[in-house]
Amino acid sequence: MHPYIEIDLTLAQGGFALAVAVRLGETAAVLGPSGAGKTSLLEAIAGLRRARGRVVVAGEVLQDSAAGIFLPPERRHLGYVPQDGALFPHLSVRKNLDFGRPPRGGPSRRDEGFDALAAALDLAPLLERYPRHLSGGERRRVALARALLARPRLLLLDEPTAGLDPLRARKALAGILKVRETLGAGSGGSGVPLLVVTHDQREALALASEVVLLTAGRVAAVGPAREVLRAPERLGLDGGGRWENVAAARLVRHVPAGGTSEVHLEGGEAVTIPYTPDLEPGARLFLTLDAEDLLLATVPPQGLSARNAVAGRVDELIAAGTSVYVRVGPWLAHLTPAAVAELELRTGTPVWLVAKTHSWRVVAG
Amino acid sequence: MLSALLTGDFGGFGGYGGGMDGLGGLVLFTIAVAAGATALLVPPGLVVAGALSRPGFRLRTLAETLVSLPLVLPPTAVGLALLLLFGRTGPLGRPLWEYFGFEVAFTWKGVVLASAVVAFPLFVRSARSSLEEVDPRLPAVARTLGRGPLRAFLEVELPLAWRGVTAGAVLAFARALGEFGATILVAGNIPGRTQTLALALFQRVQVGRDREALTLAAVSALLATVAVALSELLVRRRDRTLSR
Repeated sequence: MHPYIEIDLTLAQGGFALAVAVRLGETAAVLGPSGAGKTSLLEAIAGLRRARGRVVVAGEVLQDSAAGIFLPPERRHLGYVPQDGALFPHLSVRKNLDFGRPPRGGPSRRDEGFDALAAALDLAPLLERYPRHLSGGERRRVALARALLARPRLLLLDEPTAGLDPLRARKALAGILKVRETLGAGSGGSGVPLLVVTHDQREALALASEVVLLTAGRVAAVGPAREVLRAPERLGLDGGGRWENVAAARLVRHVPAGGTSEVHLEGGEAVTIPYTPDLEPGARLFLTLDAEDLLLATVPPQGLSARNAVAGRVDELIAAGTSVYVRVGPWLAHLTPAAVAELELRTGTPVWLVAKTHSWRVVAG
Repeated sequence: MLSALLTGDFGGFGGYGGGMDGLGGLVLFTIAVAAGATALLVPPGLVVAGALSRPGFRLRTLAETLVSLPLVLPPTAVGLALLLLFGRTGPLGRPLWEYFGFEVAFTWKGVVLASAVVAFPLFVRSARSSLEEVDPRLPAVARTLGRGPLRAFLEVELPLAWRGVTAGAVLAFARALGEFGATILVAGNIPGRTQTLALALFQRVQVGRDREALTLAAVSALLATVAVALSELLVRRRDRTLSR
């Protein structure tokens, strides 16, 4: 497949050098610690920072130093959403949103895209307010909508949930997923292409199908998100590492008396999660399950308080330092070598995946 | 030659030629000149302040030094430089006179020009510091939303910095009100033609009309106080908006 995003940029500023050469599909995440150059990279792609090299998005050459091409930011049609949104403080939410909209003929400001977006992000109550009266989460929603209304070829998101508490972060991620779905349905595509920079692996997995690992200005790894992130050398980070399984799901029903809600995972498996009354049945959500909290059984589990058991087969054993990650389909379970030996786990062994209700966390929804 | 200009009509407040009579005329002329000087300096001042507020601006130190020069040079030195440039035989004055019939030296235009040049750094400093306070990501986002650099400046940076810009303009206006040294060299001290409050005051002292001089001093002080107070008010309000 033809890559949607081609980046080959070098940027030197002060003592810091950034060199990134990647070809990516329509959704990608740049993952790295702070100081790795993530924001600089986004700014260079947007044309806000003069880097040397080449940027091609959707077949359009936005920059090619060798050919003397450098489109200014206003001609790149990229939707840049900086960390806390950077709303214009002197304009109301409505005027912020109008700022990037292509001028329309006639006095009518009716616009189906606008209405759909306003509904998806629940913007109607905010329209007449000023940014200083908005919460962090509201600001980000407005900033996202403002960028999308300019109909960008690519959305550039800088740490979309940094600084938000877990519930707001959840809602912010859900908002991004929802608008991508909403807008995608309208244009017949799979949603708005997106490049997100983040230090949060769950965020990368929820939003993007490809991942670029950036360390000190260099690309450490690039490829399909799950594969890159579960590479043994990465799982072995900090002598043991940490893996959170991320799964898309849809809410089926609430069982308030049981303190649970039922969801269907993307693969069709039914799973119980803690009661989550703020979501309606039918809502899309992303769940995480720590690899530490996923148990494996070689016989059908019985007499356990854990309410989730799904059958599968071991696909891979990933040794990382002194621990082993057992992969069953998309799931990783973190085991000790002793447990692996005792259960005689090897590729192909049929197993049951077991998880407590309260091990599941909603990260977007 | 210059000292001859200091003489002239010494007929008290009623003794002015032209359309201006008495103290009222003097005050009006002074305010008009200061307003004209402010109008003249604000557009180029915004360009310079905008350029200096950009972190990537090259030759920044050189430009900053040049801009601040009129603030620290003796105003008479600035006036002399302007006189040499804009006099009828000067490199700018000659073409202006020959092609446009436009005469700067020893006219009210000279008063406006001299006041504008001397007040310029005050405006630029105030405008620049408030432009620098604008979050640089805001014009950056405006660019990605389809605005060119000029429109991003006019639609985002300027509205956000308007208090400092306005305060700078008021400060420049106040400075222009009291301009003396550069003005007297470029425009002389011609009652009814180029004489402002400050120049009239000097003249009255020279001829020993101390009472009139004191009155002029009091009026100047009043005007300056009002202008500076206005500027302070604007700046203080800006600080409050920032700290919310």
